[in-house]
Amino acid sequence: MDPRDLDFINTILEDEARLKESIREHVAELEKKTRVMAGILDRIHSTPRAEIPALLDTVRPVIHSCQAITAALAETIPRDEVWRWKDLWTNTLRTAAFSVVLVYFLADGTLAPLSLVAEELGIKEEWKDRFALTPEDYLHGVITVINELSRLVVNAVTLGDFEAPLRVSVFAKEVFAGFTMLNLKNDLLRRRFDSLKYDIKKIEEVIYDVSLRKLVPPSAVAPGVAP
Amino acid sequence: MTVASAFEAFREHLDEHHDRRERIIKTNRDVTVASKKVIFLLQRILNERTTDDRALSHRAAAEAKAKLAEIRVLLRNVTHELQGERFWRYASNISGGLQEYIEALSLAHYIEHGRLVSYQEVKEDLRDEAGQPLCPLSVSDYILGVSDLTGELMRLAISSISKPGGRTKASQISSFVRGCKSDFETLTPHIHELRKKQVVTSQSLRKIESAAYTIAIRSSEFELSPEMLDHIMSQMAASGDDRGQPEGAEG
Repeated sequence: MDPRDLDFINTILEDEARLKESIREHVAELEKKTRVMAGILDRIHSTPRAEIPALLDTVRPVIHSCQAITAALAETIPRDEVWRWKDLWTNTLRTAAFSVVLVYFLADGTLAPLSLVAEELGIKEEWKDRFALTPEDYLHGVITVINELSRLVVNAVTLGDFEAPLRVSVFAKEVFAGFTMLNLKNDLLRRRFDSLKYDIKKIEEVIYDVSLRKLVPPSAVAPGVAP
Repeated sequence: MTVASAFEAFREHLDEHHDRRERIIKTNRDVTVASKKVIFLLQRILNERTTDDRALSHRAAAEAKAKLAEIRVLLRNVTHELQGERFWRYASNISGGLQEYIEALSLAHYIEHGRLVSYQEVKEDLRDEAGQPLCPLSVSDYILGVSDLTGELMRLAISSISKPGGRTKASQISSFVRGCKSDFETLTPHIHELRKKQVVTSQSLRKIESAAYTIAIRSSEFELSPEMLDHIMSQMAASGDDRGQPEGAEG
């Protein structure tokens, strides 16, 4: 190879390596935030319902502190290269999305749309060719929320909150129905979706236990579930 | 927006993505197969008996170039699918085909010019008839594509070695491959799959060196002029005798 060509190629490769390192550093920062969020949110399993809003108030600032990092990432990543580097942040971003969706459900009882999750994390639409929250990452985050909620209903009931399972069940079934509309291929999303069945089942079992013992009035039970 | 309508949008997004990926994978397959054919074509033409090596090389390169232009038409079919940020989403689906094409292109280039086609030259080549780029060219695809060239050159060297002028050719190819191997070595930290390819390149190099050695040893058994030795080697190849004992040889 002509030495100048070799130099040229080496330069390109070295620039790419530097860029990758830079992205990794930002992602590590983001990872710290998601760990803090996950740590706080884990307490929902031992927090009485009345105190949940206060707990969520401690998570929101952490979510918003991600905005500076996502902005830094959008600035670091060259145009059109979002998919080139996505693997470096995909898991971390999924966890961040999970936190946002979970907080939203616990406060509002509904599913936060993708656009809102992106907004909370400071991810701007115009960055979409550099850094974005893709539908796939959002959906993975949502599945993790359902996983988490199926564990929550068990613990909520233990703490005396007998209505939690009903709220969660309506939500989970709606989300599950949404997922069944998708034509999924044999990938990770498909396998995780398959595991949602077990979460749904678990939630239904808790509802059954709760309504069997007449812990909630039959009228409050979600339609289709035998009292 | 309801949950259901949100998921409908997701369904459309995923369906579109999967369909696009299928189309790109199919083109990748077609490009790979067509590129391999070009390589076979080059090897076949260069194995023909000839008195005029240069004319043979030119013909081989010309025929290959015509076929390579056809492959570019195949790539053109998915150019619009690979626009903007989409290229990197599907890069791994088209990588194999691109590398195979680059291997074929670099073989034709070596046969015609005796040197390695550069990254810029490949980039220039990957354009449609209007001069528009067919798709981005990553350094990785370029290097991995030309790395495979060394294997084809090994085959070329060995198949030529028994023909007139074959040992010179093998020696040229040998030093070229050695040069490639050492150049690429500096790039292995940055390009993941290059290490394995370097192993293959080493093996190819050893085969060429081994064949050249065998001939050097055999030629020392007879005090023959290089032309006579060439003649004997080509007779050997023609008769399929590999014991190295030509009939009626003096010595």
